[in-house]
Amino acid sequence: MENAVENKNNKFIRYLKLIRQHIAQFFVKYRYFFIKIGISVITLALTVILLFFLLRLIPGDIVQEYALKLQGNRGIPYEQAYELAKDLLNYDPNENIFEQFGRYIGGLFRGELGVSYIETGVSANTLIATRLPWTLFISSVALFLSFFIGTAVGCYAANNRGKLVDKISSGYIAISGSIPDYLMALLLVIIFAFQLRLFPNAGNYNAFETTPGFNLPFIGSVLYHAFLPILAYTLVQTGTWILQMRGSAIGVLGEDYILSARARGLSEHTIHKKYVKKNAMLPMITMLGVSFGALFGGATLLESVFNYPGIGLEISNRIISKDYMVVQGLIFFSSAMVICVNLLVELIYPLIDPRVRRAA
Amino acid sequence: MVINMNKENIVEFRDVSIAYPLKKFTLQAVTNASLPLKKGMITALVGESGSGKTTLASSLIQCISEPGKVVGGDIVFNDNGNEIFINKLKDKELRKFRWEKVSMVFQAAQSALNPVMKVKDHFIETMNQHGMKKVTMEEKEAKIKKLLNFVKLDVDRVMDSYPHELSGGMKQRVMIAFALLLDPEVIILDEPTTALDVITQYFIFTLLKKINKEMGISMLLMTHDISVVAKFADYVAVMYGGRIMEYGDVHYIFKNRYHPYTRGLIGATPSILGSTKDIEAIEGNPPNLLDLPKGCIFNPRCKYCQKICQEQEPESLSIDNMSKGKCHFYKEI
Amino acid sequence: MANIKEFGSKVWSIICLVSKFIYESILIPIWNFIKKIFKNPKSAVGMSILIVFILIGIFGPLIFPYSAETDVANKYLWPSLEHPFGTDWLGRDVFRQIIAGTGNMLQISFYTAIISVLIGTILGILAGYVGGVVDKIIMSITNIFLSIPSFPVYLLLAAVIVINGSLSFALIISLFSWAGLCRAIRIQVVSLKERDFIQICHVMHMSRTHIIFNELMPNLFSYIAINFVISMRNAIVASVGIMFVGLAAYDPTNWGAIMQAARDKGLVNVQNVIILLYPLINIVIFQASTLLLSNGLDETLNPRLKVM
Repeated sequence: MENAVENKNNKFIRYLKLIRQHIAQFFVKYRYFFIKIGISVITLALTVILLFFLLRLIPGDIVQEYALKLQGNRGIPYEQAYELAKDLLNYDPNENIFEQFGRYIGGLFRGELGVSYIETGVSANTLIATRLPWTLFISSVALFLSFFIGTAVGCYAANNRGKLVDKISSGYIAISGSIPDYLMALLLVIIFAFQLRLFPNAGNYNAFETTPGFNLPFIGSVLYHAFLPILAYTLVQTGTWILQMRGSAIGVLGEDYILSARARGLSEHTIHKKYVKKNAMLPMITMLGVSFGALFGGATLLESVFNYPGIGLEISNRIISKDYMVVQGLIFFSSAMVICVNLLVELIYPLIDPRVRRAA
Repeated sequence: MVINMNKENIVEFRDVSIAYPLKKFTLQAVTNASLPLKKGMITALVGESGSGKTTLASSLIQCISEPGKVVGGDIVFNDNGNEIFINKLKDKELRKFRWEKVSMVFQAAQSALNPVMKVKDHFIETMNQHGMKKVTMEEKEAKIKKLLNFVKLDVDRVMDSYPHELSGGMKQRVMIAFALLLDPEVIILDEPTTALDVITQYFIFTLLKKINKEMGISMLLMTHDISVVAKFADYVAVMYGGRIMEYGDVHYIFKNRYHPYTRGLIGATPSILGSTKDIEAIEGNPPNLLDLPKGCIFNPRCKYCQKICQEQEPESLSIDNMSKGKCHFYKEI
Repeated sequence: MANIKEFGSKVWSIICLVSKFIYESILIPIWNFIKKIFKNPKSAVGMSILIVFILIGIFGPLIFPYSAETDVANKYLWPSLEHPFGTDWLGRDVFRQIIAGTGNMLQISFYTAIISVLIGTILGILAGYVGGVVDKIIMSITNIFLSIPSFPVYLLLAAVIVINGSLSFALIISLFSWAGLCRAIRIQVVSLKERDFIQICHVMHMSRTHIIFNELMPNLFSYIAINFVISMRNAIVASVGIMFVGLAAYDPTNWGAIMQAARDKGLVNVQNVIILLYPLINIVIFQASTLLLSNGLDETLNPRLKVM
């Protein structure tokens, strides 16, 4: 009888040990992933702290201002308005800095990124919902367009080093590298929108003649308005991609496996496609991921040159109108997206590059 | 100028010169080199680093590293009595010729495989590109397995590995198996054991000797290890500053040491039995290919240098008469 | 007496050492560096243009002094001998405005480059050389600055803090621009540390200061020099961008401010477009010259790239 109990106990302990072993093995096996995730979480936390202190730099008592405004708008007594303002802004200047920080973190966890105290009913969340799609539309189209053009041209230029194509692409790199993207945008706007009047100089679609939805005039109008921003972005970005891909491909061309592939009698086509391009692309994919993460912040200047209502334009307008709570929320959002996308890239990368896969 | 090929030779280098045109000057890496490779034999090419061994050998499959070019002479392959002028092959013919007739084991076997492809895929890809697309997958895999088995590798593991997962010795053996893939007649071995430990070196050379004996594949072995040459090679050619100095049977060359450079080279090799006092390095530095000395290019380092050596370059070896060394006083000193 | 003498000789020896150090470790390398710059055609052209800009920045305002007085009667004049670039909407000379703005632009870019290179190099070497916890802390700080989008924060700071000069402007821009440099330097240091010559120094128990200043620094020098030029480029892009949004308008002659003002006046008017083009072209020339300089430096200082 006693023996049976002991046996059962032993069995139980053995199971426990086994489970613990499995968990340990699980952590060891996916150590790479856990370390990456951990680093990202720490970075995010530190970013939150930094942004919190950035907000404390803002002079003046924003709660008081907002309360006065609420008082005027809603016709409620000042005390009540002040309480309401504190709640809405999620910020109490009378608390000490730790309590304020706690409040701020709480807001973030509830998903409240920041309320506007200039416009009622507007917050960072609503702005992200309405503006982000436009930003992502133009910038991701431009990014992928320039990525594909740039890597193809860069690879081709590397294969034909010193020939005419290479010289032309080097010249293009130098020119596009000397013009900041917003100045390129400005030139395009001046030429095509203000002087030739071929394209609109502001907005994302014609609100008077089209209705948003899945219809042809609307889509046409969107594309028509997005053309110049995408062109400006692509023109400048393509140069960078050509430069990077060319460098990467030239590095690969010097590798021994290219020579040995040639000695094996493989066709140049196969060598370029399976050997040069595949290996040269690996670092490009990481860079593409990082660039994609940066898109979520919007291209502030580009959007403001085209008056294109994306996140970037929103940030610059709200900074000028001193709507700092919203700005803070938007900056937090874009930093968080950068960190998340970088993490995703790092987690996916082992699937692409076998060398990292096994090492991980 | 048609020279009928000696039946015994599988490859003949006839007065080959190879140059690298660079921006400001042209670098002559190989000058008037003539060299036969005897069928079924191992011919060794010895010389210091930078003497043009690799350049000469890679001209055999027209894989000279950019921007090198054959600027003179012919490289002729004996394809069962038909002469193939390798340096005049068109791109398509050349692609077929490479690996089917002549394959190569590279000096840097460590990085000679595409890092993003599995070992197996390298083999299959090469077979596909050499007109074996229609062969079934099973047959291909059976062939790969046979080859990997032959070089004594753990077949199942290696086939599905990526190159970085193999050790240096394993990669070298994969490369040797790889070189045998299309049953070539000649294999070029470019310092096949440089980065390997002594035991693996021995293993690899025994393996190569076995391939040579059992399959009758001729080999061109490049090395600066004289002891390896003495042990494994049948013929030896000594190279210095892009020129062939002496050629002949290994025993004949090593025993007589007629050429002063060969004498120096052998004298500089330590032996296990002798004391280190007997080692004698060759004085001076290898020649600067951009600024060659007048006359015999070995004269600044030669102990037996005479007046004529500083004025006139000795005659180069020619394919018809390989027994005369490139020295004014060959067999006299 | 003896004390004073001893003290004097000590001071003298220190002066000797310092001057020797300045001569050998600063003057000679700088001279060699300048010689190297002018050997490569790319960096020679880039450097020459940059020197022209610097000369204009220093002596331009003395030769062509600018007055902000308005003269509405002479507004929108076409280019003439008196006004080489014409006049703006208030009758001010555009040519003199641009010359007056040159010095300011150069100051911003130099200050930013100096500050960010200083911070980036020190932190990068510290992180890479010391390693361990220090490395982790510095790298996580660097990561934050790399993941927060920099431009919105520049705008925020420019709106919150009053920018009243090129130094404060440069401080704001370098708040973010050091981070990328720090990471790059750290990677370099980590790879150098594994090299044989540094390992030998460790084995020989050489002091850390010796290793850092005599062994690491000369090898990092080319890297730092190139990044200095790149920081200058980025500073121009960022500062003009900030002014482009309409913030930090402390100096109306700054190129960004001129462009912003012309843009505000309306780009349908060709006159405004022309006024805007002068600073724009200048910025493009400046960017092109620094690009040439950094590429040329890269070619001369990292010879392995030359073969490619």
